[in-house]
Amino acid sequence: MDLETVKERAGPRQFSPEDDMPEEYRKAATRMIQFHANSEVMGGYLEKPFIRQAPSLDRKLAFSAKVQDEVGHAQLLYRAAESLGIKTREEMLNELATGKGKFLNCFHYPMESWAEVPMIGFFVDGAAMRRQATLKTTSWEPYAHAMDKVCFEEGFHVKHGEDILRELMTGSKANQERVQEVFDEWWPRILQFFGPTDDKSTHNDFSQDVGLKTMSNDELRNAFLNAYVPKARKYGLELPATPRVTENDDGTWEVVEEDLNWEEFFTIAKNDSEGSYEQIGSRRDRQEAVDWVREAMSDRAPLGSGSSPQAAD
Amino acid sequence: MIWEVFRQENAGDYHKHCGNVHAPDREMAKLFAQIQHGRRMQTKSLWVVPQEEVGEVDTDDTSFGGTTDKAYRWAVTYTQVDESFAEEIAESQAEQEEQAKKKREAETND
Repeated sequence: MDLETVKERAGPRQFSPEDDMPEEYRKAATRMIQFHANSEVMGGYLEKPFIRQAPSLDRKLAFSAKVQDEVGHAQLLYRAAESLGIKTREEMLNELATGKGKFLNCFHYPMESWAEVPMIGFFVDGAAMRRQATLKTTSWEPYAHAMDKVCFEEGFHVKHGEDILRELMTGSKANQERVQEVFDEWWPRILQFFGPTDDKSTHNDFSQDVGLKTMSNDELRNAFLNAYVPKARKYGLELPATPRVTENDDGTWEVVEEDLNWEEFFTIAKNDSEGSYEQIGSRRDRQEAVDWVREAMSDRAPLGSGSSPQAAD
Repeated sequence: MIWEVFRQENAGDYHKHCGNVHAPDREMAKLFAQIQHGRRMQTKSLWVVPQEEVGEVDTDDTSFGGTTDKAYRWAVTYTQVDESFAEEIAESQAEQEEQAKKKREAETND
């Protein structure tokens, strides 16, 4: 299929491994889904230590269930990415362990206290959920199928995250202050979750033209702010004075780009920060520690009738 | 030889099991599947799979879970926060409730 046909036919769940997709499409989809899969792994790893720090048994159960879900989402997504025939699952996991694989900006920052948990569990997950809901209508069918299951589970994650926020913000003054402190720190990163504004984004046009993305960075950021700013205020969180974020009359928001630290964002995007080294290193250690499991699995005879994925090029 | 048949109704849907056909080879199986399962029902695509290639694990072999109370896993448990503020959260919760309902119905039928 040539690129023009792809753009003409682009629509929800239009293309599957049976279609002969042009390399540009397969590469763009691989980049997007691999990034998504990597982010599920790295988000899970960032949160994992807090299973131990959970303040009650209920929280511990829910939180470990959530981390388990995130790793499961990564598995689904690596499959969806692999079906494009550009990279194997193993290649993608190795790229992640060696610092070549890219992932979400928010998961490069260290997380130190329980007060930070709702920053990820409510705001970042909420932002991710907003984005993922729109990807149920992505043009790569295996990706859309993965989103069906991911979105089914995420409702629990976000509500649990909000419940932790509610608990902290209706608790002691000290807790409220702690949460406000970490909110000031996390809020700019959360705004950057959706990437640069549309006029500054590099991949946006192509991904939208071929139906991989169905909403632009700005549209997603607006939808997120409309739902989550009122929530932050409801729990008594104050938005920091900078970055400046102002609400328009028509349900859209202005984010003042120069108030956000894009140098930091792009350094992090290249996996080149203290946090990046630490998080990626931790993932690499795990990968090596369970190498023997993969080894043992690969000694088994191949299962099934051996239908082969689309050839890599 | 028995071939299990999976039908997809619309582009992008899952292929769902819809029955099986008797056929000596794959070509014939595809033809019979078309005739028996693709004529009346809305069909976008059919898969045929040799029955012996299908692996099954059922409730005799294992317990699939859902018997332990895992209320903490469901959005509906968190009643002190509301899901309606974002449509995607409300939708996720509705899907979970639907599954829980199906599960309860299956249990009463047992």
